[in-house]
Amino acid sequence: MSAKTYKIVVLGDFGVGKTSLIRRYVLDEFSEVYRATIGVHLYKHTDALAATALPVNLVVWDIEGAPLPSEQTRRYIVGASGALIVGDATRADPFSAMWEAADMFEDVLPGRPLCLALNKSDLGTEAHPETVNRMTRRYDCPAFGTSALTGDGVTPAFRALARSILSLGL
Amino acid sequence: MGLDPSLLLDTFGVMAFRLDDDLRVREAQGTQGPPFMGEDIRETMPVLYGLEDALAAPDVDLAMPFIQTGRDNDEPMALRVRRDPATGDLWVLCRDVSEESAIHRELVQKHNSLSLAQAALVKARDAAQEADRTKTAFLANVSHELRTPLHVIIGGAAILSRTGAKRLTPDEVPGYADDIHESGVLLLQLVDDLIDLSRSETGDLTIYEEPCDLRAIVSGIVSLSRELPEARGTRIAATLPDGPVPMLADARRIKQVLLNLLSNAVKAVAGRTDAAILFEIDPDGPVLTVSDNGPGMTAAELEIARKPFGQPRAAVRAKGAGLGLAIVHRLVDLHGGRVEIETAPNEGLTARIVFAAPSRPPVPTG
Repeated sequence: MSAKTYKIVVLGDFGVGKTSLIRRYVLDEFSEVYRATIGVHLYKHTDALAATALPVNLVVWDIEGAPLPSEQTRRYIVGASGALIVGDATRADPFSAMWEAADMFEDVLPGRPLCLALNKSDLGTEAHPETVNRMTRRYDCPAFGTSALTGDGVTPAFRALARSILSLGL
Repeated sequence: MGLDPSLLLDTFGVMAFRLDDDLRVREAQGTQGPPFMGEDIRETMPVLYGLEDALAAPDVDLAMPFIQTGRDNDEPMALRVRRDPATGDLWVLCRDVSEESAIHRELVQKHNSLSLAQAALVKARDAAQEADRTKTAFLANVSHELRTPLHVIIGGAAILSRTGAKRLTPDEVPGYADDIHESGVLLLQLVDDLIDLSRSETGDLTIYEEPCDLRAIVSGIVSLSRELPEARGTRIAATLPDGPVPMLADARRIKQVLLNLLSNAVKAVAGRTDAAILFEIDPDGPVLTVSDNGPGMTAAELEIARKPFGQPRAAVRAKGAGLGLAIVHRLVDLHGGRVEIETAPNEGLTARIVFAAPSRPPVPTG
């Protein structure tokens, strides 16, 4: 019997760097050119969460970004084991779209783990520690400052989500 | 002779797969594979991972309009998964949507790019407006800070130049001369600070690092501070290592940092009967600390004090333009260090300068 493959969805507003984060994590590459994601783009990835652990198989769903999740987005996330919610740390308000995405995910798949990523941290972030704390408490999830450009925080964010999924035995 | 399996795909871009309960391919239309007969369709179409429960439902009907897989942006497909109501068989139907996808992508790309550009413009406009407000406030502050000592100088000079019956007595002259001198020194200090601040804004503030001894610098400042008239009555102490603390730094700028911190501390403790200022060096780091037992500040007041011309409530009555701490931050930044400030109301203030650890040990001096 083959090892289970877990579906992870990546959600957030457009232009926050969801595709860049995934491609950094899966392919270890980065492009400055913005290319909008249409529908969904899937990436298969096998990751060893720890040197001693068995590798875990993931299918990462890069879902078309929007400030508000659409009905189609609700259909896309069906069957997901967890979600990475991404915001652009350089925006004046990175959180509105993150709240919307997280609420929608929790509504469709209650109890499934989330992880927050405030991306573009290399560009200098606005200070939002109170809101980040409020979100991590509300969803009982970790938050990471990430940079798809430098790679900082990217793998730790995905691995934290994968560990949460495994620990829940999903 | 049956239908060529590739005909549907070639003609209409359509493929169809009938699956068994284990999601293995039992029939394929429109393609000769992959996925091949008997294979788990999820290996070829990973989009179906996670959907096992949904696929097992008797009334399953899933639709996904645009799906791409792989690193090189494979041809986009539309996917439909339905159960044949007559036979109960599960069918996966795929259609090549390259053309629709290209049109849709162009629209979305334009919309998103425009929105992102608009957001960037709004952000740039807000930053420009904030910079304009800061510049206006800066000019108002500079004008105010220049006027006070200039009034003293102009007024004092006018009094000194009186003739006839209003002429000053010889005993009165030194007092006015001292006022003019003190105001001149204040003006010079203000102009020097403004030049430093301006250079730091334009990136022209430079430092000239060379091997020096932090202990000797601090020791010199402590000796100097004990001679300052405004520090009279303040207990100034220092806890310094026995030996030199070698580092690479611009000694003149480090002295300036210390004098600014000292100046702030002296103002903070003024009027206290137990006024005290303590200098400390932790040679590991190295870390330099200047503490006072003044009134301290709230977090909000500290934010104000960090900004140029910031005058928190606790410092309102003190002399100074409020540039000292801003310049300290910039000079320490240039040295690759950081400034940490701990303070709270009625608990004094401690400024810690944490210098970057040297990549190679500097040659001890002195």
